[in-house]
Amino acid sequence: MENKKILIIEDDANLRGVLKEFFEEEKMIVKTASDGESGLIKLREFLPDVVLLDIILPKKDGYEIIKEIKSDEKIKDIPVILLTNLGGLNDIEKALALGATTYLVKGDYQVKEIVEKVKEVLEV
Amino acid sequence: MSWLKNDLNLKRDAGYLGLSVWQSPGTLYLVWGFLIAFLAVIVFWVAGDSVDPFRLAITEFLVISSMLAIGNILINTIDKLARVNRSKSEFVSIISHQLKTPLTGVSWQVELFNTKYKEGLNEKQKEILKNIELSNAVISRMVNDLLDVARIDQNNLFTKKEEIDIVSVIRKVIEKNEVLGKDNNVKIKFLVDDNMPKIIGDEKKTEVVLDNLISNAVKYNKKGGEVSIKVRKDVSKATISIRDNGIGIPKEDQEMIFDKFFRSDNAATQEVSGTGLGLFIAKNIIERSGGKIWFHSTEGEGSVFFVALPLV
Repeated sequence: MENKKILIIEDDANLRGVLKEFFEEEKMIVKTASDGESGLIKLREFLPDVVLLDIILPKKDGYEIIKEIKSDEKIKDIPVILLTNLGGLNDIEKALALGATTYLVKGDYQVKEIVEKVKEVLEV
Repeated sequence: MSWLKNDLNLKRDAGYLGLSVWQSPGTLYLVWGFLIAFLAVIVFWVAGDSVDPFRLAITEFLVISSMLAIGNILINTIDKLARVNRSKSEFVSIISHQLKTPLTGVSWQVELFNTKYKEGLNEKQKEILKNIELSNAVISRMVNDLLDVARIDQNNLFTKKEEIDIVSVIRKVIEKNEVLGKDNNVKIKFLVDDNMPKIIGDEKKTEVVLDNLISNAVKYNKKGGEVSIKVRKDVSKATISIRDNGIGIPKEDQEMIFDKFFRSDNAATQEVSGTGLGLFIAKNIIERSGGKIWFHSTEGEGSVFFVALPLV
């Protein structure tokens, strides 16, 4: 995990802050964005190894962002982990159909479990 | 006339309202239409020869129009009820979802505090922090239950198919219930077959189900009682059993125990808090994961709940 780059796109400052601290503990290089538009801009500049993406976001939602990622040759292979509190069948099927690597329902996981899932995705 | 407006989108309509295709207003209108046609033919067949044409026409008109009116009222009522139910579920799910973000905030902040900033706290401060965590877990679970029920009502419950180490899930749930066990003076025992293979299911949701069953077994036990948990494997599945020697479920209530909001009288009078949602959710989750859930119980002696899930 050391020196791997992660981009966290999350509009809730509280959750964003906690995630950032946990990933910094893992010696990862962490960048964050609080809305969809700035998230996409940072994604293209920063070229992270993995993206943690919320779905309900200001300016551009998570579904839009995945669509743009998957249609851009330069960033389409970056794994996208959805981290959201939307956990219904239709939300999840939509996200997976668009090409998300995996999805995690925020409230169901402790942060250390999310770190583990990110590790799994990075190892593959 | 609304039954002419039937756009034959029966399946979509039914799915949206959480009904089966056979219960959708569109299908009901069609069936009712056939019934009316059938009645009209019968009237003609019975009375066609003997009555003069004018009286026959009047009779047919009365039969058809009254049947149409009755059908319209019945089916509109069903439709309205289904829509009310639907908007109630949507309301619950929007509210629950809005609650989940701040609840997640509390639990993650506490976790961060515990991992990085706990040093130097005295015992009292640690205890307070632990209590914040426990209370938050209680609310979170309630919100999750409400969300799951709304999703089940909307046919919108998703269960992952992942490989899970069921033994470690059970150990985790037991650990979670240790405080409850101590408070109720109930011992939790766990027996497991060697080399338990992984099973297929949704890890987080299976945890919810087992947490429900194990906490029930503790809550409805006798003081000084015991909860014994076993996992056995056979050819294609793993079966988890959770046995208690508590109050048991009265025979007349056993059929309804998996119904939404149902609580047996002897459970409700025990001063044990509960919403009557746990087993309803459990059954839905397990069946959607391709498993089975069932129980045996004798009032006054105890219950044993079984959950079978497919092996990898």
